[in-house]
Amino acid sequence: MTELLSEYLPILIFLIIAVGLALVMVAASFVVGHQRPDSEKLSAYECGFEAFDDSRRQFDVRFYLVAILFIIFDLEVAFLFPWAVSLGDIGLFGFWSMMVFLGVLTIGFIYEWKKGALEWE
Amino acid sequence: MDTVTTLPVMMPAAAEIFLTVVGMVLLMAGVFRGEKMLKPLAWATVAAFILAAGLVIMYGGTGAAFFGLFVTEAFAQFAKILILLGSGFAILLSLGYLKSEKAGRFEYPVLILFATVGMMLMVSANDLMALYMGLEMQSLALYVIAAIRRDTLRSTEAGLKYFVLGALSSGMLLYGCSLIYGFTGTTSFEVLAQVFAADSTPSTGLIVGLVFLITGLAFKVSAVPFHMWTPDVYEGAPTPVTALFAVAPKVAALALFVRVMSEPFGDLLASWQQILVFLSIASMVFGALAAMVQTNIKRLMAYSSIGHMGYALVGLAAGNEAGITGVMIYLATYIFMNIGAFACILAMRRDGRLVEELSDLTGLSKTHPMMALALMIFMFSMAGIPPLAGFFGKWYVFLAAVEAGLFGLAVIGVLASVVGAFYYLRIVKLMYFDDAENPLDSKVAGDLRLILYGSAAVTLLFFLVISPIYDSARAAAASLIGA
Amino acid sequence: MYTAIIFLPLLGALIAGFLGPWIKDLGAQLVTCGALLLSAVLAVVAFVEVAIGGQPRTIELASWITSGSFDASWSLRWDTLTAVMVLVVTVVSSMVHVYSIGYMSHDDSKPRFMAYLSLFTFAMLMLVSADNLVQMFFGWEGVGVASYLLIGFWYHKPSANAAAIKAFVVNRVGDFGFALGILGIYLLFDSVSLDVIFAAAPEKAGTVMSFLWMEADALTVLSILLFIGAMGKSAQLGLHTWLPDAMEGPTPVSALIHAATMVTAGVFLVARMSPMFEYAPTALAVVTVVGAATAFFAATVGTCQNDIKRVIAYSTCSQLGYMFFALGVSAYSAAIFHLMTHAFFKALLFLSAGSVIHALHDEQDMRNMGGIWRKIPFTYAMMWIGSLALAGIPFFAGYYSKDLIIEAAWASHSGVGHFAFWMGITAALLTAFYSWRLLFMTFHGKPRMDQHTLEHAHESPPSMTVPLAVLALGAVISGFVGYDVFVGTQMDAFWGASIKVLPENNTIEAAHHVALWVKILPIGVAAAGISLAYIAYILKPELPAMFVARFRPLYLFLLNKWYFDELYDWLFVKRAWQIGRWFWQGGDRAIIDGFGPDGISMVARWCAGQAGRLQTGYLYHYAFAMLIGVVALVSWYLAFGG
Repeated sequence: MTELLSEYLPILIFLIIAVGLALVMVAASFVVGHQRPDSEKLSAYECGFEAFDDSRRQFDVRFYLVAILFIIFDLEVAFLFPWAVSLGDIGLFGFWSMMVFLGVLTIGFIYEWKKGALEWE
Repeated sequence: MDTVTTLPVMMPAAAEIFLTVVGMVLLMAGVFRGEKMLKPLAWATVAAFILAAGLVIMYGGTGAAFFGLFVTEAFAQFAKILILLGSGFAILLSLGYLKSEKAGRFEYPVLILFATVGMMLMVSANDLMALYMGLEMQSLALYVIAAIRRDTLRSTEAGLKYFVLGALSSGMLLYGCSLIYGFTGTTSFEVLAQVFAADSTPSTGLIVGLVFLITGLAFKVSAVPFHMWTPDVYEGAPTPVTALFAVAPKVAALALFVRVMSEPFGDLLASWQQILVFLSIASMVFGALAAMVQTNIKRLMAYSSIGHMGYALVGLAAGNEAGITGVMIYLATYIFMNIGAFACILAMRRDGRLVEELSDLTGLSKTHPMMALALMIFMFSMAGIPPLAGFFGKWYVFLAAVEAGLFGLAVIGVLASVVGAFYYLRIVKLMYFDDAENPLDSKVAGDLRLILYGSAAVTLLFFLVISPIYDSARAAAASLIGA
Repeated sequence: MYTAIIFLPLLGALIAGFLGPWIKDLGAQLVTCGALLLSAVLAVVAFVEVAIGGQPRTIELASWITSGSFDASWSLRWDTLTAVMVLVVTVVSSMVHVYSIGYMSHDDSKPRFMAYLSLFTFAMLMLVSADNLVQMFFGWEGVGVASYLLIGFWYHKPSANAAAIKAFVVNRVGDFGFALGILGIYLLFDSVSLDVIFAAAPEKAGTVMSFLWMEADALTVLSILLFIGAMGKSAQLGLHTWLPDAMEGPTPVSALIHAATMVTAGVFLVARMSPMFEYAPTALAVVTVVGAATAFFAATVGTCQNDIKRVIAYSTCSQLGYMFFALGVSAYSAAIFHLMTHAFFKALLFLSAGSVIHALHDEQDMRNMGGIWRKIPFTYAMMWIGSLALAGIPFFAGYYSKDLIIEAAWASHSGVGHFAFWMGITAALLTAFYSWRLLFMTFHGKPRMDQHTLEHAHESPPSMTVPLAVLALGAVISGFVGYDVFVGTQMDAFWGASIKVLPENNTIEAAHHVALWVKILPIGVAAAGISLAYIAYILKPELPAMFVARFRPLYLFLLNKWYFDELYDWLFVKRAWQIGRWFWQGGDRAIIDGFGPDGISMVARWCAGQAGRLQTGYLYHYAFAMLIGVVALVSWYLAFGG
């Protein structure tokens, strides 16, 4: 146990230093700096022009949908690379395994297409 | 390095493969033919479940598939049959609901089907990876089903809560798995068992991993203190979905729990027994107490199922063959009582709308004598009054606890069931001794009635078949830890 | 056949009881009466085969309880004693069934009534045909339950309910004795089978067992315990209080249960256990004294009652006293003989009284009767026959049996025997007196009821008069027909092994050779009693009032039945109330409820409220709870180790 933990000791030391440094910096700016707040200083900074809206606003759920669908097929491709590289070693079984995998994903793809998930409007 | 060129053994997983293929076919059928396919799809799913049950019986004998990731034996068979029963009845219960609430989506039966495949994989998992995969397959489908009525606030809230907390618990479970892998170097149950057989004094890291693993599983069976999602999800989800949640996933999770605890970690009994005793006591007591103040019958059923899981965990905590036999019998009785009780809840309609307050049941004996009688049978059975089904489940788990020397656990269990009897009997009192101010609709759909009376009959006459059930449960337990 | 006799009434009861709504009143009546009549006919055949033909037998039905050396089975013991009892029970019961059709014609729940009657008959038959004590106890309790149901048949009447409860509770006292007796017998003999007990009784004589912190002769203790049971059922002095109250039931019930059958169960029990009682002379002496005292006591009370059924009830009590002291002096066969004749004439009296009551629209008070003998001549004649038989006037049934009992008491030549003899003589005088008092008050003198009732007084329907005639026939001839076989020359052959009398106790034999004055005295006092009643109620009707005025305390003492009810009320009922209240208020409510259900439910409710509050509905609370759970479990393991 102690052996295990001692291996992580440098990380712990690093964390302590990092947290400590950050705290010191923030605290120092409070202690050293002059604090004269006014409304301009406290308003949101929006690169040059006036802030016209709250930045925490909802945006379209379709972005999520596209992102999720992207991840699925991104992973599919990520699996395809090692498979293609080792195809010679894993033989027919390996080949058909990937075919089944792709088949299942294709069914999912057909489903999302038919449901209209790929249409923006 | 050997290359794998031959096909792995797959027949033991025939039922799961069959269901997966059917699921994809049905999904395609649904997506091309539209919402009018709901009813045929639902019946096709039920038919697929029946066929799958046949496959389970035919090919589910002792065997391993997919290079030992997947195993099956009498235990898995028993649990899978119960799961298929529970899921099948949940679909049948939904038909009328989906029609009347106009919430029909063809994905509904397909999702249940995929969830069921996930449950069956959980039961047969023989590797931490397979375990996780089955668990997630089940959970993801269930998250969606809980929120299937995405146009109602309660359903979406239930789905979201279930999802977030489920994700949290999955994270814990995965973390536990990674710790176990890190300290033993394997994810295979068989190898794990060999490791612990050789050295049964686990390292602290392993124990922490085990605790996390148990936490994840405890979440799935909604054992206290990982139960918080249960009442909210049960209440918010559409009632037939609640019926499904109360039955099939519980069976699967508990079966998985039993397998994980007794197969790879069987030799660490001394380490995990205390956790399970704690979980089981907490669930029994908390389930009984919290249910007393509920006014919504679905919430009440949620606490009731928390309590029931506590009783079932008593059998697991005993850690012997008798205990596992008890768990299996408990689950068998549990699904029938719950299906029946939810059939009753689904039959509670006033002016065509579903109602779910306890006060809506007042005077039921006068307006619906048969339904009241059936519900009374379920309540008495859940309270564990002989000779109804529920009694035998409790009897065998307590017997096992006593056999294992856990007298305190057995005593607390009996006391908790006395307290629990209070709220079950309160329902009976409402139905039989109070006058209805506002009677429920007199017409109850035929299929609901059939399920209702059928499960009432099973609950009532369970004592007639207790010996074959006991024998198969015993065989199941023996297949898991016997020899 | 032997099995059918016993179970036909049960069949009838089940059909009438459970199918009553479907087969209607008439169906229920036909089924039960048919079953009983058939049973009675078969019982005659069985009597001829078993008793006259001398072929006792035992029929094994089923094994009941087998536990270690304890073995009780369902079997029917058919010997002479059983055959006699079965004959009496089925004949009287079938007559009562038929009679009930007429008597209960205005009642709303006839099937229930018929079912109860048949159920009772079955239980009684089970009792008399039992082959072991446990089975007998089953029948014993069965008749108790049926009697409870029948006394409380009119459950809307509070007095009937009270009477039913009283009968049940007082019987419980006796049953407790009986149950203790059975347990003790099992302890001593290691069996409850009658055969085993009877075979082993002689060698167990003189064994000592400890009972209530003292050593006592085992057989005496057990016999007395059994006798306490018999006292309860047969309403002997001390446990008799329920019988007069039981008259709240319908009159056929009184005739069947409280005259002819159930109350004789105690007599039967002692006769059945004669092989054991014979070896317990002290117990026999107790039986004699209690029986004699009851005979006297009940007869005195009977003289002052005004309710027609109560007079007959006390008469029953008194006659049971006769039977018991006959048992006490070992004249078992005489007791059973009297049991049989008494069953006929007392059922006759009760049913006649029922006929009178029926005729007068449910009037039971004799002070409101009188002068109706012309209106209901048949009933009047029947009443005469019954009274003649009861008083022991020569050649009626009672003469043979009762005189023999009195003679046997004298012939026993013991102190208790002579006590019983004089008590019996006095009781015979009183019996004759109150019987004729009843006759005269009911049928003679000036009518004292209102005009309407008098005008509508009518003779009963045939369904009531025919049973009366049959019973009257029994009351007339059963005496001299039965005399020879029951207690006369063929006595020994007739009874066979069913009754055992030690040679030195053979009082019946001795009774046939007592002095002439002993034989004549009972008839003399009976005649005197009748004359006295005639003087007091016909010649000089003002005489009773004068007597009451002169001896008011004595009159009140008798009218209030020796203040037994008041004594018991003060001694037991009030105390029981007090103890009950104390336990209820102090023990149950304060301690048990406070710390038990009430306390626990309060704690549970509080916990439930807290548990409910945990469920806030906020996701982060839930997640936090889970994390706390994990942390707690992990820390538990890290701290206390796996």
